[in-house]
Amino acid sequence: MTEAEQETVAKAAPDLAALEQEGEIAADYVEGLLDIADMDGDIDMDVEGDRAVVSVVDVKGGDLVGRNGEILEALQELTRLAVHRQTGERSRLMLDVGGFRERRRAELSKIGGEVADEVKRSGEPKPLQPMTPFERKIVHDAVAAAGLRSESEGEEPNRFVVVLPA
Amino acid sequence: MLEEALEHLVRGIVEHPDEVQVRARRIRTGRVLEVRVHPDDLGKVIGRGGRTAKALRTVVNALSDGKFVRVDLLDLNEAR
Repeated sequence: MTEAEQETVAKAAPDLAALEQEGEIAADYVEGLLDIADMDGDIDMDVEGDRAVVSVVDVKGGDLVGRNGEILEALQELTRLAVHRQTGERSRLMLDVGGFRERRRAELSKIGGEVADEVKRSGEPKPLQPMTPFERKIVHDAVAAAGLRSESEGEEPNRFVVVLPA
Repeated sequence: MLEEALEHLVRGIVEHPDEVQVRARRIRTGRVLEVRVHPDDLGKVIGRGGRTAKALRTVVNALSDGKFVRVDLLDLNEAR
């Protein structure tokens, strides 16, 4: 099965109990790290659609986000592996720290809408900065909401969105 | 604290958590953390294209107060 197909299956039947279990494992892993690093933070767990979301809020004593979210991406990667080790299933869990993803989501949505308007006026395709898969998805959604199409080009980690004229 | 943090991160992702060992060494250019894992887990902590190793290095260096820390990944039987 390809990854896209697996996602479709997951969407067809989001198993709430399994996603909650993912959240528990992830929260333990991250909380353990906070304790060792002598950092404070509260951990919220949620399920959004077909994925578990673990958010660390009110973080004090260190930076787990990084300038462009690179620390957060790294920690999310490790957290997903920790979940995978215990469940045997590949995890799509989302980790957020200090509302970073929430803010980034709003910012990217705005950019997607603005670039779509620009492309409507100019009639020219417009490439954007390289982004993570999570970020590109938000831009694609915003462009689609504005009534245009977009594609991803290039290779990770430099893959970027191109907004296409109608 | 860094050794303990790295040990926690690695133990959570391997099949043989009890066989994870972390040792700190000083070298001229700074600090090295040597992580030893069960031979079957080495591929896991390195990851495809070194992805997991990179993630471990990123998180450890995020906790090191701006001082560069090298992270070496070895299998338990490797001598040093």
